[in-house]
Amino acid sequence: MSIITGKAIPRRTFLRGVGAAAVGLPFLDAMSPAFAAPAKAPVRLAFLYVPNGIDMKNFNIEQEGAFTAPFPRVMKPLEPFRDDILQIGNLTHNSGRALLDGAGDHGRCAGSYLTGIQVKKTTVDIKASISCDQIIANKIGNETRFASLELGMDDSRQAGDCDSGYSCAYTNNLAWRSETQPLPPILDPRALFERLFGTGVVLSPEDAQRQAMYRRSILDFIIGDTKKLQSSLGPTDRRKLDEYLSSIREVERQLEKAEKENAQIDPGMDKPYGVPPDFGEHFKLMSDMLLIAFQADQTRVATFMMTREGTSRAYREIGIADGHHPCTHHQGKPDLMEKVTQINEYHTKHLAGFLARMKAATEGDSNLLDNSMIVYGAGLSDGNRHLHEDLPTLLIGRGGGYFKPGRRIIYRKETPMCNFHLTLMDRMGVPTENFGDASGPLDAASLT
Amino acid sequence: MQAGRGNVKPPLGVALEGDLAARIDAVLAVAMLNGFAAKMESRTIALCTSRSGLKTAQFVDVIAGFYAPRPVGGVANIGMAEAHGAGDDAPPLAATLALKNAEGGPRYTSNMKDLRDTADNAVLIRNILLAQVDQNAATVLAGPATGLVHLLYLFGSRPQIATKVKHLVVAIGAFPSGAAEASVAADAAAARTLFAEWPTPIVAVGSEVGAALPYPASSIEKDFAWSQAHPVVDAYRAFKPMPYDAPAPALAAALYAVHPDDGYFTTSEPGTISVLADGRTQFAPGANGKHRYLIADPAQKDRVTKMYTDMVSAQPVPRGGRGRGGDLE
Repeated sequence: MSIITGKAIPRRTFLRGVGAAAVGLPFLDAMSPAFAAPAKAPVRLAFLYVPNGIDMKNFNIEQEGAFTAPFPRVMKPLEPFRDDILQIGNLTHNSGRALLDGAGDHGRCAGSYLTGIQVKKTTVDIKASISCDQIIANKIGNETRFASLELGMDDSRQAGDCDSGYSCAYTNNLAWRSETQPLPPILDPRALFERLFGTGVVLSPEDAQRQAMYRRSILDFIIGDTKKLQSSLGPTDRRKLDEYLSSIREVERQLEKAEKENAQIDPGMDKPYGVPPDFGEHFKLMSDMLLIAFQADQTRVATFMMTREGTSRAYREIGIADGHHPCTHHQGKPDLMEKVTQINEYHTKHLAGFLARMKAATEGDSNLLDNSMIVYGAGLSDGNRHLHEDLPTLLIGRGGGYFKPGRRIIYRKETPMCNFHLTLMDRMGVPTENFGDASGPLDAASLT
Repeated sequence: MQAGRGNVKPPLGVALEGDLAARIDAVLAVAMLNGFAAKMESRTIALCTSRSGLKTAQFVDVIAGFYAPRPVGGVANIGMAEAHGAGDDAPPLAATLALKNAEGGPRYTSNMKDLRDTADNAVLIRNILLAQVDQNAATVLAGPATGLVHLLYLFGSRPQIATKVKHLVVAIGAFPSGAAEASVAADAAAARTLFAEWPTPIVAVGSEVGAALPYPASSIEKDFAWSQAHPVVDAYRAFKPMPYDAPAPALAAALYAVHPDDGYFTTSEPGTISVLADGRTQFAPGANGKHRYLIADPAQKDRVTKMYTDMVSAQPVPRGGRGRGGDLE
């Protein structure tokens, strides 16, 4: 239709079906008016957070400047993306430090990670500040179906003491809508799926199970709209649409598999209904849906707590039965240090899978990864000593052609992490003068 | 929230910002603060140099490391004014760093290879102040006011300074009036802003106090025998041909910051210090003013000089004896 008439398909077109099913579209060539310059894809921002610090010896690249040497162990899985990564050194979150509040580095580091302030030490009357992702969401969120998405993987308790007097609201959330209102992450892939494609109503496990008996693919419901659209697209767009819908179908299959396995293996397990027991499968499901949400421009801002801060999750998938947090307090014991490194590698391995899928998603002459800023990092550097300086930070993607990755940049010691946040907000079209303890945005010349 | 660990108020935390590349009295003040720390009378919470330069950074790293062990293979956490490139060279400090030991190797070594191993002085001081008990910190300035003015303009810093800092003691200017002093002249606009906008009381130590109470060369010759290689002594010798008594307003400032009520100096009545266009400072008395200046008391000269020499020549504190290292963790 667009090719013949010269009318472009609106960016916010949905394939609608029976009930409330609605599937957004990826960026198609047909979304640019004929003979016009190709529409510019929006810039997306996601924070992927890992807990308990990272083995910095095996994470930091020694040389500043263009990557030349092979990546160290924790970075090794990211070798295929060496041209897409900026590794940033010496960013500090002073607000994560004790500053007379005593123990509780895990609570503080996660609470301050995107809010930039020292959170109140309490389990009752929590107090942080609006997070930078929500400042962005407030400004540009009306341009997409969801102002932001908050994803997580293992614990979304909002009350109780999760670290030496710090509320679980601090360790389990990254996004804060206001100083007293965290935005709890969605942990259950089924709930996320329903949010993205369904009515928005999250079913109870029993209802979901009952419905699953009759469940058909969401693609079946939108088949009418899909055929209509396909007939109006050129071959490139048709292929792109097919790939996109196939990726949604793949998510459905993974979900069904997880739900079936949960029902068979451990019906009484204390987990949301659709959560796969395997970390990798869970991450893939959640990150696939994040990718689809970005691809279909359903949101441009996301936070993803890959596991909650301070987690003692065991990684039996890779043969580690000890909890992550106890391992990080290794006190120099080689066997525990090795386990921490393996866990960190395991995380970056799965990150690499996500990045590969982002890169494969084409957008005009570019791809989704190029048009994104994926921030991967932690609120502590050395988890053993609870250090808040030189935080492990990767900026992956080009932010729509703005950043020049493939390098390691080292800023001066104590450079506030909030300076980086200012830079990200600016790149998202939300220039902000003051945020947290920022002393000013990062030097643009060093990044571009 | 208002006491340190274990609810015991720690000794006063002193943040020093000085022109360590050009003022030997600022270097001596670092040594003096070590002496106070050894006696648990203060803690050196931040060490900043207002001069940007790699040699300066390396020297400050050496002197900081002399008094408190640096991380293995690492560098001391020091602040430095805005750093671009290698910055100014500092001949006396470069000469100190070039000294050899008996085996022909470098007498002093620093792992600081790049100015990015330093922190922005304003950010460093702000960060460390936040870790102090209210009204239990002092700031000493012995150089251009540029960095402290930068601190003033960090978002939200003024109430934090007012809460944490008991007083700012500045070793700049001449009082009640006098010729333009070098640290003021280096950035008169910053000095003007500092006096006008700094949110705590300010006590100024003019060049006339430094001249009246110099650091004696004889101490350099005899009080450091316990050390085979002392970076402060070597820097003192490199600054000017020996023997010379160094004018030392920075020492008076550090002494007053830690012991304001011990009668080492007389203080002026309250008033307001202004900075003239040509860099001269001027004091105008006024009951509501929050500035004062120190007056050297001839009757106290021997007592002050003894305090100077005892503290500057004090040996390093055994590790764990002071809080500086842990405050940023």
